[in-house]
Amino acid sequence: MIALFITFFAAVVILFLGLNKKESSFSNLAVVALMASSICSFCNAKGLCNFAILESWVPANMMLFGYSEHMFASLLAFVAAVIVFAFRKNDNLGTDQLGLIMFSLCGAFMMISYQHIVMLFLGIEVLSIPLYVLAGSKKDSLASNEASLKYFLMGAFSTGIFLLGTAFIYGGTGSLELEMMGIKPSFMHAMEGMPIPTLINAGLILMSVGLLFKVAAAPFHFWAPDVYVGSPNRTTVFMATIVKITAFVAFNKLLSTFGGIHNTWSGWLCVLGMITIVWGNLAGLVQNGVKRTLAFSSIAHAGYLVMFLLILDESKTWILWYYGFAYALASVLVFLIAHQSATDKNPVGFDMFNGLSKRSPWVAFALVVGVLSMAGIPISAGFDAKFYLFSFAWQSSPWLVGVGLLGSAISIGYYFKFIKHAFLVKVDGDETAVEYNDKGLMMLIAALLLLAGAMPWVLLKWVF
Amino acid sequence: MNLLSIFNQVEISHYIYLSTVLFSIGLFGVLFRRNAIILLMCIELMLNAVNLLFTAFSTYMGDADGQIFVFFIMVVAAAEAAVGLAILVLVYRNTRKTDVSFLDQLKG
Repeated sequence: MIALFITFFAAVVILFLGLNKKESSFSNLAVVALMASSICSFCNAKGLCNFAILESWVPANMMLFGYSEHMFASLLAFVAAVIVFAFRKNDNLGTDQLGLIMFSLCGAFMMISYQHIVMLFLGIEVLSIPLYVLAGSKKDSLASNEASLKYFLMGAFSTGIFLLGTAFIYGGTGSLELEMMGIKPSFMHAMEGMPIPTLINAGLILMSVGLLFKVAAAPFHFWAPDVYVGSPNRTTVFMATIVKITAFVAFNKLLSTFGGIHNTWSGWLCVLGMITIVWGNLAGLVQNGVKRTLAFSSIAHAGYLVMFLLILDESKTWILWYYGFAYALASVLVFLIAHQSATDKNPVGFDMFNGLSKRSPWVAFALVVGVLSMAGIPISAGFDAKFYLFSFAWQSSPWLVGVGLLGSAISIGYYFKFIKHAFLVKVDGDETAVEYNDKGLMMLIAALLLLAGAMPWVLLKWVF
Repeated sequence: MNLLSIFNQVEISHYIYLSTVLFSIGLFGVLFRRNAIILLMCIELMLNAVNLLFTAFSTYMGDADGQIFVFFIMVVAAAEAAVGLAILVLVYRNTRKTDVSFLDQLKG
């Protein structure tokens, strides 16, 4: 709860104080506020401090922050702080984009802590509507316009489907509260002609479709590559990391509420996961653009995370937390290097990395760590994340794990392209050298990924 | 004859069918029309079909939650329409058309 309050009030303050000022003079304040929400929710989870007064303002049947919710809020706020710091802009007039990012994060906090479907719905919308605007924030670029319109149409469409599912669930269970929904499916209201199990199943399927749209899982992923490519880099990273993790947390909560009828439809989720993994990785192989490749990689990661939904273990949220940590940091790192490497000569293609190991070896090293972590090579956090995920999912969905292993093997093909261009491709020498800012931040993220990969138990003992 | 009994003469399943049909009209509109403004209208139709269903369930179950939800849906739909129209204006300024065939630029 504390994260939500700090982020929201900081967003309002930044939005109004910075109306006619440069964005760069407020981005530090935004980073401080986001770090503060991250640290406060971490301390709150650990019991080091208590903000019970805030909790009492919001009814517990609407939003409830338990231990894992606080931890996810802490992770998301931390990732958002890194994104805002790494992609800060110097030429923007007005702080509207900073404000929108932080409002969007408020929606994410609502989505991870919801206890009532109204809050889930509001969370999805509060998360998405600022992103529609942010996707189009490069006003003169046709690609950005297209990304914005496409994201908006697909988002609104999936919201409609999600809401129809909600209505069916409401009809089937007679309640919108998670607790009530779980315990009294098909209860007293013996109305004539009310096909209750059908309503609940149809509702669950429609709600899942709505959420799968948000995480860009196949076959509802078709919007993702275009939107990721067209949006400004900062928005793309936000969509690829925070939206995805949040949607999976919310999805997991929804599914575990309906644990009893889990078996009837875990089959098709499994199939969707397989399609997503295979499609995302195979399509990633044939892409030429860096951002397009990363978009398909994020689709493939959504496929791996479908496994997480199927794990039967009750206390499984730490797997998602660790996977989200590894995946989000690696994504931010790779996107940041790609963002700074892009020149007018090589705006999108892999050629932007040519000769990176000569030009600035440390950046090349950070790029390798980020890419290997996304691919899941040992001694990087991505490996441990995949290891935990696959080994826990093995019991409930062995076939999906098999496909996941195959997909990870395929994915090395396109992740290797980054390394090939950074280390092996010869350059003629007349390349204009790109100045890299924030080398310290890149090294810090790379070090975090390596440390978390080498000693995951330290992080996990500390966090869970 | 009071109002509630009139409602109860219509079975709940009729409401389910009606809103599913309305929703499907909106859904197919989104899938097959090319004009972005008509797409927006179709999305509104989908949301309003859901509103109808929520009100019907709410009335039949004597539970106010569903009707409150309808207010939230209406508010969010208004916000979404505002953002959507703003995006459309942005697109129109750059391309001089409101056709979604423009969406092929990034070769989806």
